[in-house]
Amino acid sequence: MTDTEQFPVRVEQPDRNGGNIFSRVFDELTAFCRSRSLFILHYCTGCGAIELPPAMTSRFDMERLGISPMVSPRQADILLITGYVSVKTLKRVMLTYEQMGSPKYVIGICSCTVNGGMYWQSYATAKKLNDYMPVDLYIAGCMPRPEAVITGLRQLMDKIAAGEANGWEDYYRRYDYYLGHQQRLFGETWQTPTDVIAEARHYGLFGPETLGDHTRLLEQHQAPLEALEMQLGLGAPDEVKA
Amino acid sequence: MRAENYEARNHPPSNEFEINFGPNHPGIEGNYALKVKVHGDEIVAARADGGYLHRGFEKLMEQRLWIQNIALVPRICVPDPAPMEVAYSMAVEQLCGLEVPQRAQWLRVLLLELSRLAAHLFTFGGHAATTGMYTPMFWGVADRDLLLDLFEELTGGRVYSIYNIPGGVRRDIPDDFLTRLSDTLDYIDSRLPDYDNLLFTNQVFVRRARDAGPVSQAQALDWGVTGPNLRATGLAFDVRRDDPYLVYDELEFDIPTEQPGDAWARTLVRRGELLQSIRILRQVIDRLPDIGGPIRAPIPNPLAWNVPAGEAYVRIESSKGELSWYVVSDGGDKPYRVHIRGPSSMHAVQVLEHLVTGCRIEDVAQIMFSLDACPPEVDR
Ligand code: SF4
Repeated sequence: MTDTEQFPVRVEQPDRNGGNIFSRVFDELTAFCRSRSLFILHYCTGCGAIELPPAMTSRFDMERLGISPMVSPRQADILLITGYVSVKTLKRVMLTYEQMGSPKYVIGICSCTVNGGMYWQSYATAKKLNDYMPVDLYIAGCMPRPEAVITGLRQLMDKIAAGEANGWEDYYRRYDYYLGHQQRLFGETWQTPTDVIAEARHYGLFGPETLGDHTRLLEQHQAPLEALEMQLGLGAPDEVKA
Repeated sequence: MRAENYEARNHPPSNEFEINFGPNHPGIEGNYALKVKVHGDEIVAARADGGYLHRGFEKLMEQRLWIQNIALVPRICVPDPAPMEVAYSMAVEQLCGLEVPQRAQWLRVLLLELSRLAAHLFTFGGHAATTGMYTPMFWGVADRDLLLDLFEELTGGRVYSIYNIPGGVRRDIPDDFLTRLSDTLDYIDSRLPDYDNLLFTNQVFVRRARDAGPVSQAQALDWGVTGPNLRATGLAFDVRRDDPYLVYDELEFDIPTEQPGDAWARTLVRRGELLQSIRILRQVIDRLPDIGGPIRAPIPNPLAWNVPAGEAYVRIESSKGELSWYVVSDGGDKPYRVHIRGPSSMHAVQVLEHLVTGCRIEDVAQIMFSLDACPPEVDR
C-alpha cells in the first residue's frame, strides 16, 4: 500500500509566493496567530483520555503553549479523539466535527485511532479514523505519554504556522469519499444536520470529488429533520422515584 | 446548516425540556451520557445512556490466548486498572490450581493499594472540579503523577501496568524502590492537611456536597451498591476484610464508614481510605524485604497453554467497589466464557438515575463523580 492509500489526506500546499505582498504577509501572520492560540475540544472517546488531565494540569501544563480546553464544538479549533471510537461514538464525533468552524484540525491520539489497535477484531469499534474524517496528526502509542501528547501538539502548531494543516479542506473537496465510509458503517440513511456541500461551495472548496454516488444516495434519503420529541415520558417524578 | 432546519416549529412548553447530559460534556465522567428531563432547573426524569465505550470485552477475550488476555483486561477500567489484572490472574490460577508465591502476593497488594491511592486522588480532583473548584483537581492530578512515576519504575507503564500474570508477577522491585515509595507516601501524607483546607473543610464544597444524592443503607443493599459508596451508608463491608484474598488477612487496616450516604459522606469515606491505603503500603514496605522466594510459580508454555476445564469465581475490592470475575474454561487454550461484574455498572445506571431525579441540574455532575463510576467498565 502506498502512503497516499494508507493516509489519504491530500494536503494542498498553498501557494505562499503567489498573490501580492500584503496578502502574503497577512496569510502568514494569520497562520502564526492561529497556531499560538488553540482551543481543544477533547471528546473522551476512549482510554487515551486519562493522559490528558496530566498533560493539561500542573506537571506538563499544556497552557504554556497557548492550548487550553474548550467545552463547545463551535468555538474549538482542535478535535482530539482520544482512543478507540465505537460506532455509537463515531456518529457523535461526526456531528461534532461538522459543527466545528473552519479551520479545524483533528488529532487522533492512541493506536486505536490509527488501525484499531487492541480492538482490531472487535465488532463494536471503527478501525481507521481517517476513513471518516481527515486527520491532521496521529499520536501513536497505547497510550501515548503526556510528553508525546505535548510533542504532537507542538508539531501541529508548526504545521499550522507553515500552512500545512489543511485536512479540513479535504473533507469538502472529497466529501463523497468520507460520506461513503460513513454510509457503509451507519447505513445508507445516514445524514447530519450540516449541509456540507453548500459549505464547500461557500468556502470555494467545491471540487470534482465533492459529489458522487454517495452524495446522490444522501440526496435520496434526505428529509428535513424532525422536531425532537420528548422521549422520556416517564410519568410524574414521584412515580419514577418509587 | 440547512435552512429548513431553522423553520419555526411548535415547541413544547419552554419550562420543560430534555437535555442530553453528555457524551461530550465537561461535567460527565468519560464518554457517557444521561438524558435528563428538566423542569426549570429541577430534573424530573433521567435515563442513563451508555454504550459509547462498548468494545465487547467478553467476546474479545474468548478469541485470545489466556496469556494474551492479560494485556486486554486492564483496559476495562481506565482510572483503576490494577484490580482487573489481579482478579483475572487469580481466576486463572484458581482454574489451574496454581499456588502463588508469598512474595508475589505481597507485590500484588503493593500494586493494588498504589492503584487505589491514585484512583482516589483522581476522583477527588474530578469531584472538586464539578463544584467549580479547580485547584484540588490540579493538585490531585499532579500528586497522582508521582504515583504514576512509581508505577512506571515498577512495571514499565504509567497507567496500564500489565504487571500480573497468572502465577505471580512479571518482575521484582527495582533497587531502592521501597525508599522512594516511602518518600512519596510521606509527601502525600504531608499534603493531606492542604487538601483538608482546600476541599474537605471548605464550606463551598461541604455545603454543595452535603445532602446531594443521598442513598439509604436499605436502598444501597437493594441496588447492589458496593465499595466506598456502600460504606458511606454506615455498613462496614469490605471484601479485603470479609473475604480476604492475597495477604490482606495479615495486614492491619480499618474500614472507614460514614453516615448519611450523601455525596459528602462518600467523599469522606474515600479520604479515610486514602489514609488506610498509606497505612497498608507502610506495612508492605516493612515486611517485604523479609519475604524471599520466587515471584512467580512456573507455568507451562504460555503460547500453548491449555487451562483445565472448570469454572472460577473471584472477587476483590477495587477502588470503585466489589469487582468479580467469572471465568469458564473448556480445557482449551482460550477462555470459553468470561463475565465481569464491575461495580460501576450498578452505580452509573440505576443508582445514578435514581439519585439525579429530583435534584437540580448543577448537581448532576457532582453526584456522578461522587459515585465514582467508571464508564468504560459500565460498557465494557
Ligand atoms: S491505543 Fe491503547 S490506550 Fe489508546 S484507546 Fe486503544 S487500547 Fe486504549
